[in-house]
Amino acid sequence: MTVEHVHGPLQPTLSPSPLLPASPPLLRVENLGLGHVSRAGPTTILSDVSFDLGRGEILGIIGESGAGKSTVGNAILGLLSPEFQQTSGTISFDGKVFDAMTAGEREALRGKRISAIFQDHTASLDPLMSVGAQVEETCLALDPSLSKREARAGALDLLARVGIPEPERRYGNYPHQFSGGQRQRIVIAIALAGSPDIIIADEPTSALDATVQKQVLDLLRNLVDETGISVILVTHDMGVISEITDRVLVMRKGQVVETDDTEVILDQPRHDYTKKLLAAVPRLRIPAKVEKAEAKAGSSDDPGGFSATDNVERPLLVAEDISKEFMPQGLGLGFGLRLGRKRPSFGLRDVGIRLPRGTITGIVGESGSGKTTFGRILAGLDSAHAGRIVIGEQTFEAATSGRSSGLLGRVQMIFQDPSVSLNPRLTIGETLEESIRFGAGVGNKDRRVADSTGAMMDRLGLARSLLSRHPHQLSGGQKQRVCIARALLAKPEIIVADEPTSALDVSVQAEIVTLLKETIAERGMTMVFISHDLAIVQAMCNAVYIFRNGRVEDFGPSDFIFSRSDNAYTRTLIAARPQRFTC
Amino acid sequence: MKAQILSALQMRRHGPVLTASRLLLVCYILVAIAAPLIAPQNPYDPLQVFGWEASSPPGTLGSGGYLYLLGTDGLGRDIASTILYGLRISLVVSIVSSALAALIGLTAGISAAYFGKWVDVVIMRLVDLQLSLPTILIALIAIVTLGPGIDRIILALVIVQWATYARIARSVGLSEVKKPYMDAARLMRLPISRILFRHLLPNSIAPAITLIPIEVGHAVALEATLSFLGLGVPIDKPSLGSAVANGFQYLLTGQYWISLFPGLALFGLIASINLVGEDVRRHLDPRNQTR
Repeated sequence: MTVEHVHGPLQPTLSPSPLLPASPPLLRVENLGLGHVSRAGPTTILSDVSFDLGRGEILGIIGESGAGKSTVGNAILGLLSPEFQQTSGTISFDGKVFDAMTAGEREALRGKRISAIFQDHTASLDPLMSVGAQVEETCLALDPSLSKREARAGALDLLARVGIPEPERRYGNYPHQFSGGQRQRIVIAIALAGSPDIIIADEPTSALDATVQKQVLDLLRNLVDETGISVILVTHDMGVISEITDRVLVMRKGQVVETDDTEVILDQPRHDYTKKLLAAVPRLRIPAKVEKAEAKAGSSDDPGGFSATDNVERPLLVAEDISKEFMPQGLGLGFGLRLGRKRPSFGLRDVGIRLPRGTITGIVGESGSGKTTFGRILAGLDSAHAGRIVIGEQTFEAATSGRSSGLLGRVQMIFQDPSVSLNPRLTIGETLEESIRFGAGVGNKDRRVADSTGAMMDRLGLARSLLSRHPHQLSGGQKQRVCIARALLAKPEIIVADEPTSALDVSVQAEIVTLLKETIAERGMTMVFISHDLAIVQAMCNAVYIFRNGRVEDFGPSDFIFSRSDNAYTRTLIAARPQRFTC
Repeated sequence: MKAQILSALQMRRHGPVLTASRLLLVCYILVAIAAPLIAPQNPYDPLQVFGWEASSPPGTLGSGGYLYLLGTDGLGRDIASTILYGLRISLVVSIVSSALAALIGLTAGISAAYFGKWVDVVIMRLVDLQLSLPTILIALIAIVTLGPGIDRIILALVIVQWATYARIARSVGLSEVKKPYMDAARLMRLPISRILFRHLLPNSIAPAITLIPIEVGHAVALEATLSFLGLGVPIDKPSLGSAVANGFQYLLTGQYWISLFPGLALFGLIASINLVGEDVRRHLDPRNQTR
């Protein structure tokens, strides 16, 4: 009798899926440990990772870079490179343990029972093969008994299921003829070809624009609901997690920090790390309507005139009628002759902005909207075909770029990816010294240079000892701080920050944004902040321009844009954000 | 057994082939440096050469009091000494020319990448012109127009070799120029020389540098070819190539040693430079480096 009592309370933990207590979970990972052996010695990649995946379930694995979340997916797929060694634990699929299977049996699982979607939809497809042929090839490979006609029918069916319009007509098209979102749909179609039980999706939407991301996530959710397959969704984005997952595994440094239902994790995170991750997600506030601003804001006859005060004070920078064309490359015959002359496409068309002194202005847009091109033209790095930029009293023609324009050097930039923004062969100290000596034009007075770099390092929360290091010895966040220091030390009036946080982990993003905002304000500088993330723009900016296809679609003070802009595109952008993180 | 032979011949970091070629190369360099000390005869000094002892077979005891270990050539010069002295010329010519060619080619290549437009067009069309003509033809034209002499040979080899470096440096430079750190350097209004040599060159140099060891081997062979054709170093200062040339008309009469021994020395030199060069290239190649 006492034995029964001891067993009683243990029962629930032994069968974690209360709905189907009898059958084993589709996939069970128990105490998985992985090590990596290199010349530097063995390192632990994963330790003690356990979870179950039931049928028809979407399990999210979230963590920052280096958390080992992709490695879990690869271990299940059997795609680990040979230097990885399983040190403990088991993975079992449908009740069968992987270790007990032969290589052939595991090979048979891959694609047919367990398939994968990767982040880079461009690299996942063969650029020289029509998409229809690629899907068809996969169908044939997974079921060699199919006839050519059956395989084609199957491929068409798959393309239709993932929402490719007119699959018959587009069957023979090549990957570059599809948009990014459609390419990712095709990759999903290929993953579905063997009617798998599990799809492992590794950052499937990270390379997509927000509006497209939502559509692809909806597609995944629908597929799960209709066919009952299971998905392991590896991501760094809490927004993605909140949109479609049923359960979440929070990982950090190769360990599972916390696992629970998505709702529970989002509402009552228990672990500090989960709380930190959630707190770091930028939230979009939809402010209450402010009646006063309404009359003044956003009429298109008065570009840039957001409020009365701005009109009184001359803006620091005015860019007018900036246009840039991209000429498609035809078949060149040399001497300026071309076969098949095409019409130029516009990278930018009559774009104008005004930057009031001491403010932060946001530029928001999806990829291809021309926001980065515009930023580079402002900094004098690229030329436009028409337009002018007025800074203070000086007018610069945007048609000339580089040294001859005189604009180069008036505006400093902070770039997206800090890993390629610093010369890898120079130490941090050398990089910053160049900024002071040449950017700010202080000359070669060694003591002053050392003083100001040191003070700047302190201000940005970087240890002075980093000055003698090379960029590859720094973390991503540290590198981006150095880039900020470089831009600030050149003492420009204007700084253009082009997606400065997109390449960083979420927890670092918030710190960088705050730091940027504070240091700009301290020095009375003016900033253009380019981003695709509405919430960060809202947190940073006084005014917002929304770019779309090389034009300014909407603009105004940020409160106005986010609360009451009636522009349809602006509303779409706001609606595409995860509802969970909009308040 | 086959597998064992294969593994012995494979180029591995500690394989016997590599060790042997390293040893051989070190020997070559030491011997070349010490040539005046260890050579029994100074083949450049007419007073030490005895014309009547021309074409002596290996092992003849000469009237200078030394053994002609490898015989003498048609002018009576000791083959062993000729090889030792010839080695000096071959090595100096090839190393100096490769270094100069790398310097010029890299500068031209990154300039083409950075400036683009006309600079790029002019430099790269020169490169195309150069690479479209057979190397030996260019070297011949250069020597014929410039006249003979060691410095001219070096110049000719530089003309032949710079284009390869320029092309590689340009292709790497083009991808580096697009990176944001180059934009940042431009935004700082750095002087152009500083952008080129402090930012662009150090980051574009790695793949081109790996070429140098291989190109040294090519230079040795090319110099030997030119000398063999009689267009290389002056006749009184024989390099390995001209030493081979001196004897090849005697081959049919059975005086094999005049050509054979310098030829073997040349073979060993080029082989060891190429094998060691390949290893150095692997070491330098950034793709093979694990941090």
